[in-house]
Amino acid sequence: MPSASLLLQGLALGILTGGVYALLASGLTLYFGVMRVVQIAHPAFLFLGAYLTYFLFTFLRVDPLLSILVTVPLFFVLGVAIQRLLLSRLRPDSFTMMSVLLTFAFALLIEGMLGVVATGSFRSVTVDYATRSFQLGTVRLPYDRLIGFAVAVATLMLLFAVLRYSRYGQALRATIQHREAARLVGIDTDRITAIGFGLGLATAAVGGAVLALITTFFPAAHWGWIARLMAIIVVGGLGSVSGAALAALMLGVIEALVLVTLDATWAALVFYAFLFLTLVFRPQGFFGGRLAERF
Amino acid sequence: MTFFATNGLRRAFGGVVAVDDASVELHEGRINGLIGPNGSGKTTFFNLVTGMIAPDAGEVVFRDRHIEGQAPHRIARSGIGRTFQVTRVFPRMTALQNLLVAVRRAGLTEVLRSAMRGPEVERAEHWLERVGLEHLRDAEANSLSYGQQKLLELAGAMMGDPQLVLLDEPAGGINPVMIERISDLVRELNAEDRTFLVVEHNMDMVMSTCDHVVVFDRGRPIATGTPAEIQADERVLEAYLGV
Amino acid sequence: MPSVSSRWRIAAAAIAGAVLLMYPLVAPNAYLLYVAVFALMYMALATSWNIMGGLTGYISLGHSAFFGLGAYVTGLAVTRLGVPHLPMAVVAGVLVGVLAIAIGYVALRVRGASFVIVTIALVYIFNLLAQGWRDLTGGSTGLRVPAIGDLSRLQIHTVFFYAFAAMFLLALATWWFIDRSKLGMGLKAIREDEDKAQALGVPTNAYKISAFAISAGFTAVGGGLYAAWFNALDPVFVFSIIIGANMVLMALLGGVHHLLGPALGAVIVVPASEYFLVQLGETQIHLVATGLLLAIVVLVMPDGIIPALSALRRRRGPPAASIRESSAETATTSRVTP
Repeated sequence: MPSASLLLQGLALGILTGGVYALLASGLTLYFGVMRVVQIAHPAFLFLGAYLTYFLFTFLRVDPLLSILVTVPLFFVLGVAIQRLLLSRLRPDSFTMMSVLLTFAFALLIEGMLGVVATGSFRSVTVDYATRSFQLGTVRLPYDRLIGFAVAVATLMLLFAVLRYSRYGQALRATIQHREAARLVGIDTDRITAIGFGLGLATAAVGGAVLALITTFFPAAHWGWIARLMAIIVVGGLGSVSGAALAALMLGVIEALVLVTLDATWAALVFYAFLFLTLVFRPQGFFGGRLAERF
Repeated sequence: MTFFATNGLRRAFGGVVAVDDASVELHEGRINGLIGPNGSGKTTFFNLVTGMIAPDAGEVVFRDRHIEGQAPHRIARSGIGRTFQVTRVFPRMTALQNLLVAVRRAGLTEVLRSAMRGPEVERAEHWLERVGLEHLRDAEANSLSYGQQKLLELAGAMMGDPQLVLLDEPAGGINPVMIERISDLVRELNAEDRTFLVVEHNMDMVMSTCDHVVVFDRGRPIATGTPAEIQADERVLEAYLGV
Repeated sequence: MPSVSSRWRIAAAAIAGAVLLMYPLVAPNAYLLYVAVFALMYMALATSWNIMGGLTGYISLGHSAFFGLGAYVTGLAVTRLGVPHLPMAVVAGVLVGVLAIAIGYVALRVRGASFVIVTIALVYIFNLLAQGWRDLTGGSTGLRVPAIGDLSRLQIHTVFFYAFAAMFLLALATWWFIDRSKLGMGLKAIREDEDKAQALGVPTNAYKISAFAISAGFTAVGGGLYAAWFNALDPVFVFSIIIGANMVLMALLGGVHHLLGPALGAVIVVPASEYFLVQLGETQIHLVATGLLLAIVVLVMPDGIIPALSALRRRRGPPAASIRESSAETATTSRVTP
């Protein structure tokens, strides 16, 4: 029977990781909301962001958190460009199949280019102030995780604020809820869709910086994240940002608990187990409510 | 024998109760109409009856057998055909192939037979002829006009040789000549011992074609009777006009 | 009754096939024979994939799960139980096919992109299991499978040339048979409009699962043959997304609605990628090239090469005599293969 302090440690780490998962999954919800696209390359872009953060840090001594100021606008523009120039060219009747294949192609491209430029060695970013831990009773909270969590939560709150209070955000929510109706009230849904996509990719820039800080990565790392993030979305309920956040927290905690009591392989399988269980018993997800869609 | 009846059928989506304690009985051989204001639960009722969604409560009986909660393909094969509110055809298949999709008998030996040969092809050609589309036999379904697609859909519903045919807004989005054509077809088919349940907004069509009408409001039937009777019914007026 | 011209076509195809089957006897060296075997393997795999992907429209990006399973089941049985290689590959195919029925029962509860994700998850799960279950599979160090006999490399390549050729022809025949059967009709209806197919009495679940299992079973046979041919199984390679991605790319490139589409795609991609491998020697470029090619196909010719070629041929041909004739022609040429 694992000790209470071990479980507490797992719980704490799980919450910290869950927050990061929530940020990583939020982009996916955005893509799906505006375009009904399941963007398989999102994790690949995450790691592209991580590599950019790494190179900015290693060669220009730019602090990873500051590099966000560079990568976010870059990724936003990239997202808008991808949506406008590529995704919008796909025929509507085979859109689902083709968008999956196209985003899959992006993932391959990114992984390949990263492999050529950065080689397969494992990378990570270690900043001095993030190597230590904060001790809270018996629980050890590593600074890098705390920072990652803080950044994730801050970004998510910013995203919520934009969606809720800005005009673009409201137009975005309208487009997500009912495209036709949004168009009828004069919203330029094409433009909004491009912005939505850009926002999604911008979250990948932030997520990438966080990942660079808290984990080691290599070009092929994104494959393991696709199913993880998708599991979060499916369990949370497709299309619901808050549902995804709740699911992210829950799965983060469960994964961490399994990690401290069993081992890494079992911990990795947690997400897949939940993915399959949800599909069998409740394909529309658990936390999404009425907004959740079934494929 | 109970030809067709629902008992206390209920279905909610989240907080919205779309169909609420719906008990309807249809007599064999009639053309029945199902009318009601928008949002009264007509299409949900259809989807419940045809198995596209499962009811939260209640039962559906067809020819003395319970079919509630059954899979849609099984219900289709047991003798209930349906069309869709927004006409659906298989776009990249020819008109003939569209009809050949219909499955009457499932089974391993059946399923391995060639699709483009055999008695099924003759039946499909027969139905194409019935609805007047035999000259478009090899045309891709998405090259057909909307009205022609509606006829194709009707023919497809008939391929399973159904005793009960559910039509979801057959007059929607087509010109009066086509509406007349479809009404004539419905009457012809009805004369051949097929019972119909038609959801419609087009009152002229309902009044002239249907023997018996059920009025839905807020998820349940509020009145039934002949077209003349329900036209005079206060509750129906209230439901439509909100008076 | 096949017409005279199609009889000539079948005869020509049979002769071409017979000539190609003599390739091992005339191959200049072991390497070129190896490339041919590799191409045949992917021709067989892509065609097997297309039994599911092309007919139902359900895109599986995780077919390498079945490839890897077939490889490991065959490899382990040969290593631990001493059973002969080739029959075991077939047995592995059947076993994996049966397993795929169970997997499909769960996986096919969702459609579209969700299904794609589930198939990706599948590869990952088996990857993790293969690496984690060290006692059974040898873990990440992999599994060594004894060679099929005391033969030279040339002879081994020859044996597997014919083995993969047989598998390819069988997969081809299966695709052709399903395509023209009522099962195929139902599958294509599922592809066009699954709900409407159900409303017409098609037992969609049973049909989808059948196609999935058959496709998986064939892919597993390919994996088993691979294990017997290559003799070294690396879980990271056999359970990698790339194999599945290649299958999809080849099928798409050639044309998923056509019998020989996947084979055509394989015949183009395999020699090309081998050439680039030799010239550039960099496996990561592979990924860039695959991704680029896939993106181009999706954006520029999503229906694949074969339809693009026939469209080109039609445009170059004699102009239609009247409006009615040309509309009839367009009405019949882009339809679903009956």
